[in-house]
Parts: sequence; structure tokens; C-alpha cells
Amino acid sequence: MKYAKVYFDDVKVGDELPPLVKGPIQQIQLTRYAGASGDFNPIHQDDEFARAAGMGGVFAHGMLSMGFVAQAVTDWAGAGAVRKLGVRFAALVRLKDVVTCRGRVVGKSSTDDVNLVELEVWAENQKTEKVVTGRATVILAARP
Amino acid sequence: MPISINTALIGKEYPPYPFTVERGKIKEFARAIGDLNPCYLDDRVGAASEWGDLIAPPTFAVTFRDETADTGAMLRDLGTDISRILHGEQEFELFRPLQPGQTYLCRARIVDIYEKSGRSGPMAFVVRETTITDRTNDVVAAMRHITIVRL
Repeated sequence: MKYAKVYFDDVKVGDELPPLVKGPIQQIQLTRYAGASGDFNPIHQDDEFARAAGMGGVFAHGMLSMGFVAQAVTDWAGAGAVRKLGVRFAALVRLKDVVTCRGRVVGKSSTDDVNLVELEVWAENQKTEKVVTGRATVILAARP
Repeated sequence: MPISINTALIGKEYPPYPFTVERGKIKEFARAIGDLNPCYLDDRVGAASEWGDLIAPPTFAVTFRDETADTGAMLRDLGTDISRILHGEQEFELFRPLQPGQTYLCRARIVDIYEKSGRSGPMAFVVRETTITDRTNDVVAAMRHITIVRL
């Protein structure tokens, strides 16, 4: 079930998040993301501009891919559960790419009534090349 | 032609600016990502939630731009332009979800600039940190942004 509640007690190191598949990436999504985010860099919209800049054509905003990774985390942990999310943009995401976001539990800790779960997160394209790598910390409730 | 980056900007603080979160912008942002979580989109779900209203997705603070500022100013200060920049890394720390109708104060600062050689040649890394506080001066969120400039 989507948005099922996950409790701190039920999470083990090594658990994997359900993969989230996004795409194929279309130009219209990059245009929508530009409008929604305010990032109108033409390198994500104008193929001629992107080629002249030496980038071989249009590519997706890194922040769109990070948004996908954040969704993979919140689909599992719940909206509002993210305490920290940090990523590196490892490779460009191109038009027609399919981006699969994944995550794995790498640690658990409890302090002052707050239960924290550390995740390794990443996104890969259809050639299984990592396009985003990072870490997340989420707060999970204890089982009542 | 290679360019050089103005490292004198390390430590530069930009003027604080207010940013008010609009309900429709949260929904537009979530839909642009294709994240249809009702906590971002459904006002009734938001009202019934522990937060009492919609919340923003984790990466929403990236939209907190200084609307009164010249957006090319930082790039010009650095000695580059938009065609040379790439997003290298991004981090968000969220102490509370961001919510519609709230006005936050953003303070941005360039904390470091360093150069490295990558597969595609020499690059400069510009590290910028932004702190986001609420009306009572509590830190609600912080973000760290690394811009890569292809030299």
C-alpha cells in the first residue's frame, strides 16, 4: 500500500526502500520544473544553447532528480519525515532517460525521544549508471 | 578560453531577504516532480494532519530566491555566466516542514571556493549556505549548494 506507515521498531539495517521509477524524462517536465522552481537556465530548455555550451544537448535539472530521490524517501518514510537530505549529482540525466531511485537503511539511533534512521540513497539511469548519490536522515515514530 | 574565478567572494554574505510560501507554488512544485503525496496537494489532508496545513516537499526551499535581486549578480561577481555552471551537490536540513502562508527570512553566504580538475577539465566549486528562519528567528531549514563552474 502506498504511504503505508513505517515504524522505527520495524526497520532493520540493510532494509531497502521500494524503488521509485520516474520517466522517461520529457522536455515538458523540464519546462514545468523550471516554472515551478524558478530555475530558467536555458541549458535545460534550449538544445542549441546547451550544445553551444559544450554540454551535448539539453539535460535535466539536478534538482529534479533530487526531487525524485526525496519522493522515494517520503513514499517510504512519510511526508515530513526528512530531517536531512544531501546528494551529489554524479552524471547528467538526459531526455528519454528512465530514472530509478533507490535507498537502503545504513543506521538507526535514538536520542531524546527522536528516532533517526540513516539511509544511503541513489538514483540510476536505464544503463544502471548512478546519476545521483547521497544520504538521508529520517525521523520515524516508535510503534505505539 | 579559460576563465578564473574571483575567490575574494569567500565569506561574502548576501543581504537577508524574506520569502513567503504560496499554497499554489507548493502544489505546482510537487506536481512538476510528479510527487502526488496528498500532504503536499490536498488542503483537507493538510488541515487534518499533525501540521494543521499542507507541507512542502523536502527540496522546496530551492525555490526561495531573492525576488528583488538581480539573479545574475552572483555569477557576475564570480566572473562567469550561466552557460558554464553545473549543480554539483545539494543538501537540505529540515527542522520543521515549510508551510503555506508563512514568511521566512533567508540568509545566504559563500563559505568556500576551491578548484579541482575533473574529467572535463579544470573546475571551480562554489559552496553557498543559506539559513532559513521563521518570524521568531528560529532556524527552520538550512541548505548547502555547490555550484560547479567549468573554467
